[in-house]
Amino acid sequence: MIKGLILKDLYVFKSYKNNIYSVLIIDILVIFFASFKIEMITTGTIIFLISFGLNSISTFSYDENADSNKYLLSLPLTRKKIVQAKYIFAIINNLLSFMIGFMISFIIALYLKSDLSNIVNNINICLLAFTGTSLLICTDMPCIYKWGVEKGRIQATIIPVVMVFILAIILFVLFILFPNIYYLIKIDTILKFIPIICLIINILLYVISYFISLKIFLKKEI
Amino acid sequence: MKDNLEITNLEKKYADFTLKNINIKVSKGKIVGFIGQNGSGKTTTIKAILNLINYDQGSIKIFSKNNQKLTSLDKEQIGVLLDDSFFSPILNVKDINKLMKCFYHNWNEELYFDYLKKFKIPLNKTLKEFSGGMKRKIQVLCAICHEPKLLILDEPTNSLDPIFRYEILDIFTNFVRNKENSILITTHITSDLDLIADQLVFIDEGQIVLDISKDTLDKDYGLIKDTQKNIDLIDPSYYFKKLKYKNKTLLLINNVSKFNNKYPNFTIIKPSLEEIMLLLVKGE
Repeated sequence: MIKGLILKDLYVFKSYKNNIYSVLIIDILVIFFASFKIEMITTGTIIFLISFGLNSISTFSYDENADSNKYLLSLPLTRKKIVQAKYIFAIINNLLSFMIGFMISFIIALYLKSDLSNIVNNINICLLAFTGTSLLICTDMPCIYKWGVEKGRIQATIIPVVMVFILAIILFVLFILFPNIYYLIKIDTILKFIPIICLIINILLYVISYFISLKIFLKKEI
Repeated sequence: MKDNLEITNLEKKYADFTLKNINIKVSKGKIVGFIGQNGSGKTTTIKAILNLINYDQGSIKIFSKNNQKLTSLDKEQIGVLLDDSFFSPILNVKDINKLMKCFYHNWNEELYFDYLKKFKIPLNKTLKEFSGGMKRKIQVLCAICHEPKLLILDEPTNSLDPIFRYEILDIFTNFVRNKENSILITTHITSDLDLIADQLVFIDEGQIVLDISKDTLDKDYGLIKDTQKNIDLIDPSYYFKKLKYKNKTLLLINNVSKFNNKYPNFTIIKPSLEEIMLLLVKGE
């Protein structure tokens, strides 16, 4: 059943494949031109990862335009399966964009004969961009389930900004209260743990977001 | 189990609309027509049946099971056509076939493609390229090609040309021929129900105003169109509803033989479902 739902969203992707190819080409060009200055390679990669990784959200618009959820729920599908399929599709899409984005930047870095530290750094940047995209997806989806695509996206834009703002205030207060903390934080150590930190954050984001979306969708009258 | 669908005392309150005390039975082998004007509560009832909305009171049983506790296997026995909801218009009929194969164990691919051929539906065009009628044909196929036992159809013949309407009505009539299957059908094209329905349920402002078998309706109900002066001669206990319409007065009789005994000189005609609906909603 979930396979069918994922297939449905893939058909949506297929239908605007020209748009996807255009985004892909533009992003490759951005990475390519940015990478003439090796420090800039990350900018292009981040742009690619976010723009490509968020594509899955557009499938909600297609569902909403055809009022598909009503019909899907009349089929042998449960609300839980519909939400699960959306999350699986979003995660697969985000992972794919991570892999493609990393591969492109890796190839360009090799072409430019960049050293290993730059490549390792690039992996970390890709992981951070992947996590950032996950944050956007995970705030978008519950908002869309709650308010629909139009209103939901406005709320979904506000929520991450508020979250980052709150985090900045917390850090600011921490630095004011404990000025020595700055010297205790070792950036090199943190960088080593970026993959595991990103993994934990991503798991937490998707799990929390999924349960919020499911709770909303289970109660929603369609 | 005699009924494939049984709705008992269903109630649903909204701020500006209330569905009150809805009772409908869809027995095996029967086609039940659910008739009402726009906003009368037909779609709300369908949504409640399909568990798309919660209801405040009452019960809905499908195959003798509470509709909120149906398993996926139970739902495979139901075919649904909704007036305003379907797959995304960017899919084509081949995509839809692949999806339905994932959703239904019993999906009959051969039957689906046979019908597509019969209805001359092109395979590579997307839904958005089809006319409303063509799209409706595909929706009908999606409702029947997994060989369900119960069909719930919301305005299935909407935007269909008369020839295809008859073809579709024929499919529905054959569907219940095995005496196991049944259909609940809403439509505002009441002439369709005249042809196929066994039971008729009229709804107005969220309440059922008449629930009657087609046979009883044909036998007991009649219509008189006469001048107000002549109608005034009739004792109100001998008719069901009265309505002034243009320069005539319409009278809906619900016991033709009793009426004929008392007033043998009036001409009674067979009312159309449209006229019955008009009198039920606007009559006094």
